[in-house]
Amino acid sequence: MITVNLEITLGGLRMKNPVTVGSGTFAYGQEYDAYFDIAQLGAVTTKSLTLKPRAGNKTPRLVETPAGMLNAIGLQNVGIDVYLRDKLPYLREKRCTIIANIYGHSPDEYVELARRIEAEAGADAIEANLSCPNVHDARTARGCALVAQDPNRVAEYTRALREATGLPLFIKLSPNVTDIAEPCLAAQEAGADAVSLINTLLGMGINPETRRPILANIVGGLSGPAIRPVAVKLVWDAAKVLRIPIIGMGGITNAADALQFILAGATAVAVGSMSFRQPDTALSVIRGLEDYCRRHGVAQISELVGAMRV
Amino acid sequence: MPHLIDCEIVMHQEIAPEHFRLVLRGPEIAREAKAGQFCMLEVQAGLYPFLRRPMCFERIFPDSFAIVYRVQGEGTRLIAKMRVGQTVNVQGPLGKPFPLRREFEHHVIVAGGIGVAPFPALAEALIRECGAVPEVIVAARTADQLVCEQDFRQMGCKVHLATDDGSAGYRGFASDLLRELGLQENSVVYCCGPMAMMKATHLVCEAAGALCLASLEAEMACGDGVCLGCVVEANVEVEAERMVRVCTDGPVFDTRLIQWESY
Repeated sequence: MITVNLEITLGGLRMKNPVTVGSGTFAYGQEYDAYFDIAQLGAVTTKSLTLKPRAGNKTPRLVETPAGMLNAIGLQNVGIDVYLRDKLPYLREKRCTIIANIYGHSPDEYVELARRIEAEAGADAIEANLSCPNVHDARTARGCALVAQDPNRVAEYTRALREATGLPLFIKLSPNVTDIAEPCLAAQEAGADAVSLINTLLGMGINPETRRPILANIVGGLSGPAIRPVAVKLVWDAAKVLRIPIIGMGGITNAADALQFILAGATAVAVGSMSFRQPDTALSVIRGLEDYCRRHGVAQISELVGAMRV
Repeated sequence: MPHLIDCEIVMHQEIAPEHFRLVLRGPEIAREAKAGQFCMLEVQAGLYPFLRRPMCFERIFPDSFAIVYRVQGEGTRLIAKMRVGQTVNVQGPLGKPFPLRREFEHHVIVAGGIGVAPFPALAEALIRECGAVPEVIVAARTADQLVCEQDFRQMGCKVHLATDDGSAGYRGFASDLLRELGLQENSVVYCCGPMAMMKATHLVCEAAGALCLASLEAEMACGDGVCLGCVVEANVEVEAERMVRVCTDGPVFDTRLIQWESY
């Protein structure tokens, strides 16, 4: 039996395996530590952190959809101060590798968040969320516009963060674009160490009986297995043009799903909404990847990155 | 500590039109479960439905537990087809239980429709742990929708019925009937049902100076406090604490904490 090496380096971040979790689907880690040892993850990615605590959107915020869910939580989070004081010690105590996901209203806010995190050893890498669909007024014209949809703004935000931090810097982008290569290349040229693909797809639902939108925010983000084919394709598109690595995500439920992303070109993968259904999904993905490598005689998981046969 | 286990269905019966009682064998969950807590049922293997369904414990036995549900949507329609002997993956126990407060002299349960679900377990716990036999109001739209009435009577509870159309018991709202029971400061009211009904119950209790505890229902993805989808607005100034999670901060809340304005 061969020894399998699942270790990877993701834009300067060393991970013991390529599996992390999607921001917002794992809180700050502790909740799911009741189901499995979260230190076994390649990394824990936190819920988006903002400078000030946020209460998030009005309710209803969440609705189930075919093979997925639509959410408009609106970045409810404890804020950077409480994270550093109350949430971080637990993750550090457990010796987890930490990716802190951050959200700001301007480049300056992202910079301040990144500086705080680096200065207070709040994470081992930073993932900048430039693609949250749930923080704007959807009723206004272009109310759903995202930073990630404008390559110039992606470059501006990434450059500001790059100048502010020496931590590995990942940029989380949106699938709601015509050409994913543009924001990806903008992030790469501005100094990003990796890109995270994909955030949720914009969506909405209407109750015909009441004629009212199902979500209070009207528009939300679609996640879950329903979006997986879209995500795999966008990772493949991005991999064709990028030098920097990709964290692939979107509807991963098991190792076979994760392998689709890796074969399409992702160096790491994140388990998202499926953790809600089955809290230990990420652990079974890690075990499944190891088993796959053994069955296929793959000594290093990194050999599989972009190894789709065409 | 919540468990994730396969539970065998040992009983599944229709107790009223579209209302069912499902008894599941799951010793790990049953031994830790308390009245007011809930579990998350995996409806079936595969990705449809994608999310589990939250269900509170109706009865808790040494090695098994019961849930009572009404067929409401796609998930419960599928659950209703489950057969005795089949296994269901269940996550639980989750959430905070009803506090059992010995210092109160008068315990009143107010159940609206399928909101009766957590109360047989609570009545049992109050009798066993506090030596207090609660008075129970079971309310529903019509007489055929009244469930668990006999269970409360068998425990020795005084049961009052209320229906919207007067087809059984008091004609009108449970909250109006509650007002007639003469609440005092040593009364504690436990309620569960539609938000408007719990709001009315809260106001009756507030006027009488009685403590009111509500078990809230919400759509939820995780049941573990992670997704933040099931929140309700609380009367809290602090921004970060204003949206409380039904799953882990509740589902049982002191009604003074909840912002009832929009209901």
